[in-house]
Amino acid sequence: MVKLLRPVAGLPILGPVIGDGFEAVLAAAQEGSQVAFSQLWRDGNPALLRYLRVMVPEAAEDVAADTWMHVVRGLAAFRGDEQAWRGWLFTTARRRALDERRRRMRRPVAPLAEVALDRLPVSGDAADAAIEHLATRSAMALVARLPPLQAEVILLRVVAGLDNDTVARLTGRSSGAVRVAAHRGLRRLAEILAETGVTL
Amino acid sequence: MPNFPWLSGQDAPEIGDASLAALLAGAEPAEGLAPELQPLADALAALTAGPARDELAGEAAALAEFASRAGVPVPVSRSRHRRHPLLAPLLSARAAAVTAVAALSLGGFATAAFAGALPAPAQQFAHHTFGAPPAGGGQPTGTHPSAATTPTGPDATGPAAFGLCTAWAHAKAHGTSSQQAAAFRNLAAAAGGASNVAAYCAAVPHPGPSSSPTGPSASHPTGPPASHPAGKPTSHPTGPPASHPTPHPTGQPTSHP
Repeated sequence: MVKLLRPVAGLPILGPVIGDGFEAVLAAAQEGSQVAFSQLWRDGNPALLRYLRVMVPEAAEDVAADTWMHVVRGLAAFRGDEQAWRGWLFTTARRRALDERRRRMRRPVAPLAEVALDRLPVSGDAADAAIEHLATRSAMALVARLPPLQAEVILLRVVAGLDNDTVARLTGRSSGAVRVAAHRGLRRLAEILAETGVTL
Repeated sequence: MPNFPWLSGQDAPEIGDASLAALLAGAEPAEGLAPELQPLADALAALTAGPARDELAGEAAALAEFASRAGVPVPVSRSRHRRHPLLAPLLSARAAAVTAVAALSLGGFATAAFAGALPAPAQQFAHHTFGAPPAGGGQPTGTHPSAATTPTGPDATGPAAFGLCTAWAHAKAHGTSSQQAAAFRNLAAAAGGASNVAAYCAAVPHPGPSSSPTGPSASHPTGPPASHPAGKPTSHPTGPPASHPTPHPTGQPTSHP
């Protein structure tokens, strides 16, 4: 009866996906192993894109690629565990995203609520994958309807898998402020879900 | 509108902080998941669902970026003269331009050279290399190319080509569409065709530390991009240059109509 909270496709993309092997994977990537770097990338990029598609919907792919470029440059010097790695990855992404936003200040930006549904799979995906993708994009679109801080904090907690204090450092807010924003965001999300049972 | 599986709630649920904290951490609330929380839990689960195909589409480009940087020792001079991040794309583009010009088909280059239509340094080079009219109004000068047009040596082709491939991979990964187009055009020109790019890049040797420029003046050309693919010209033209350039790349002076 009780569902797993992250049940889709049998494997969550977040949390300690690499887990105990992370140290070895990181070390191998730092030694130049493409296989190891690929593992880091495949683990991190989907979450990165989901975060960025809400933060900078028009430039998410570009910012993600830019983020990885910076990560590649700094990889050899990085020290830390998997939480620290994710913190670094999303700190880098956030900086690039804010830079991108500033660059686009003068240009009209699509409202957050309209972002996520514009790149739905057209064809080719297996039916299950398409449905799963649709659910993910729909959930992202819902989160994008929240006030920006609430949306970002929820994405960083849930999608990036960062803990409250890490998100606080990353966003430059107090732990309390982040916690409040996250809880308000979730409550609002629950309200939207209840309301949009009719309207969405 | 798609049909959302979790959009069946009726009333806004009352949710406790403990439940929210658990949901945020991806855990099941200690008291179990209340039915009214199921839509929210489903939405959060969808947020963290397995990767979609398009979310893994950039892997090749990311790996190319990684491969181009991993394990490359940073020369001492580079650490002292670290490129400004904002300048790096410009410098990459410059390297790409140098190589692309070097790889231009000789036919087009020669056509322009014999027409006297090249920029002065390039025209001068053409004059010394294969007898095109010299720069400066068709007057033979007999002087050697200036420093700005002096070929940088045979080694320049390798690192420049490598830079071109790197720039291409870079632009392909996250450049704007115009950057992508420019980089690819240059690379296709160097490779001799769009279909040859992959093979061309695969054959480009990685510029090791031994072939890296050791000084800032060598790594940052100050003049116009050198357009010379080879080293110092081995054969100097012996005959007088054509004094009347023609639009035809024949090298033979023709009388004006």
